[in-house]
Amino acid sequence: MTAVARPTSSSTASGWIRGRLFPNVASGIVTVLLFPLLIYLAYRAFLFIVVNGRWDVIRRNLNLFMQGTFPRDEQWRILVQIILMAMAVGVGGATASAAAADRTREAGIATRRQRPTATLRRFGPLILFVLVLLYFATTANPWLFVLAVVSAGLLGSAARFLPPRLRHLGWLIAVLALIVGFQAVSGTTGRSWLATAILVSIGVWLSVRQEGLSPLARLATKTALVALAAGVVYGIYTVVTVPGIGWDKWSGLHLTLWVSALAIVLSFPLGLLLALARRSTLPALRVLATGYIELIRGVPLITLLFMGQFILGFMLPAGSSLSSISRAIAAMTLFTAAYVAEIVRGGLQALPYGQTEAAQALGLTPGRTMRLIILPQALRAVIPAMVGQFISIFKDSSLLYILAINEFLGVRSLVHAQADFRSVAHAETLVFVALGYWAFAYSMSRESQRLERRLRVGL
Amino acid sequence: MTSETKGSAFADATQAKGEAFIELTDVDKFFGDFQALKDINMKVGKQEVVVVIGPSGSGKSTLIRCINRLEKHDRGRIIVDGIELSDDIRNIQEVRRETGMVFQQFNLFPHLTVLDNVILAPREVRHTPKKEAENLGMEMLERVKIPEQARKYPGQLSGGQQQRVAIARSLAMRPKVMLFDEPTSALDPEMIKEVLDVMVELAEGGMTMIVVTHEMGFARAVANRVVFMSDGQIVEVGTPEHFFTDPQEDRTKLFLSQIL
Repeated sequence: MTAVARPTSSSTASGWIRGRLFPNVASGIVTVLLFPLLIYLAYRAFLFIVVNGRWDVIRRNLNLFMQGTFPRDEQWRILVQIILMAMAVGVGGATASAAAADRTREAGIATRRQRPTATLRRFGPLILFVLVLLYFATTANPWLFVLAVVSAGLLGSAARFLPPRLRHLGWLIAVLALIVGFQAVSGTTGRSWLATAILVSIGVWLSVRQEGLSPLARLATKTALVALAAGVVYGIYTVVTVPGIGWDKWSGLHLTLWVSALAIVLSFPLGLLLALARRSTLPALRVLATGYIELIRGVPLITLLFMGQFILGFMLPAGSSLSSISRAIAAMTLFTAAYVAEIVRGGLQALPYGQTEAAQALGLTPGRTMRLIILPQALRAVIPAMVGQFISIFKDSSLLYILAINEFLGVRSLVHAQADFRSVAHAETLVFVALGYWAFAYSMSRESQRLERRLRVGL
Repeated sequence: MTSETKGSAFADATQAKGEAFIELTDVDKFFGDFQALKDINMKVGKQEVVVVIGPSGSGKSTLIRCINRLEKHDRGRIIVDGIELSDDIRNIQEVRRETGMVFQQFNLFPHLTVLDNVILAPREVRHTPKKEAENLGMEMLERVKIPEQARKYPGQLSGGQQQRVAIARSLAMRPKVMLFDEPTSALDPEMIKEVLDVMVELAEGGMTMIVVTHEMGFARAVANRVVFMSDGQIVEVGTPEHFFTDPQEDRTKLFLSQIL
């Protein structure tokens, strides 16, 4: 038997050129036409970036882009927050990946060992952005800070070595670090207790397990515990008041990231409830949900944002005041929730009905069938669409600029109000801001692909 | 037709001996204008194995799906272990807890491991503590002879293995009756036997079973009674022996001549 060699593409440079660039006449012509164009574009980009660009506009305003008009004396708060968040990401990521590794090992699925460079590539866009920031740094402090952030992340990822028994501890540490990080900036005054209470309530709701209770009793205990937890948080916040910087004074990239994160975190449960309500057998619920979704989807986001600023005030009880940032977050949440609802509904419809029947035949109640069988599968199926929606709202947060909120894009107006940059260097600041948005949006998209692959285990 | 059936030579075989565990009286079922079940009368006794056969579209699946209320019947009464199926959700849940069902397409939960598939219902419906449920689950998986696959996901198993997991999943609720809806129709030929073997063992262990199938060998070997359905009606009922050697109705003869 003669071994037939698998045809391999020539590995020489000339072979590559012939095979990839000039495989036939038509492709050859396209190559000949496009090549000069590409070279020309590369040349113009090079000229702009290296020769003509007035990049000192970034160098001198780096702080403004990152944290906006945040009081300079309080900067340490943001630094502490970022370090804590890096730790939370490290702990959370390590805990999740350790749990996933256990599951795949038990199921006997072969896994490829990750190369050390995989992490670098995974965070490639963000690393590129940070390197650009460091390039513009004028002192050694940013370098030290980045070092501290990376160390915190690595330290956190040591959670990988927690024994499986203590894995929930990993999640607890991650959530605590997030909460403390939020507080490091916002302090415990104003409404910042609300964000904490929501995070804590979700945690309590998900982590409480009671054996041997009827569904109704279980729901009642859970609700009571969540209410208790929220009450405790509120109590702590009224007794222990540490002044911080409320988010009506945040701006720059810092604000953009928080506004988007809150809109995403809040719109997901709301959208889920709307999707379920739209499929409910109760006509009143169904009509309400359908009406809401179709109304919101028929209105541009910018309209909603303006309505949030001008109309929300009439609907709230007299005397209550919301900062314009809170109103903007509310509008973004309400907007995104409608889209999330439709995405989730698509996932629910795509699931074969046999799954519901099998669960029913086993005697599972409709609620449990939804929670244990339908939703986990439906949500997995719509991860790409969902993350797409989240990326979209992240980028749309730049619309807050029109409401005179100085988020990442809005900071440009401050920069170009400076005497030195009044009518110059607009392109430079735009490119820089675009790079920032791209780094985060592209990272989200890549993480969603990773998540998809990981959750596909066994499917 | 039905009255003819009742008057046929096998009148004594149409009803179960001893007390009826499942009893259907004058059951009708419509899908829109189409009548899927017409005037169904049937009793199944404890530890009895009833095989339902008939051409496709004859209402076999609809019949057993009415018994655990995956389909709602429109007229007549269905009583399972003394509980009458009504719109009362508690009655329905109670019947479903006592009734195991195995589907043609397995319908395993693909996002859960094999063991989690099996222990889900005991944990969530019967509130069995985790440790105990896991022991029970492993016991059931041993019964269908695949304990070594417990930590795998359904997608990693062959069709025959998946169907056996589905049987184990139903058994874990310790049902009093098992409904099989063409359990081997979606399987490759070489995997049919491993599933039938498990079903034969179940029958020999005294499980009450209603089986919709095209496996005549199984019917002959295990069934106490065979029910032939056509156009939503029960055409003929009899012991396998009578059924396969001396069918009375023309439609039965025609059907048997086509498949045997």
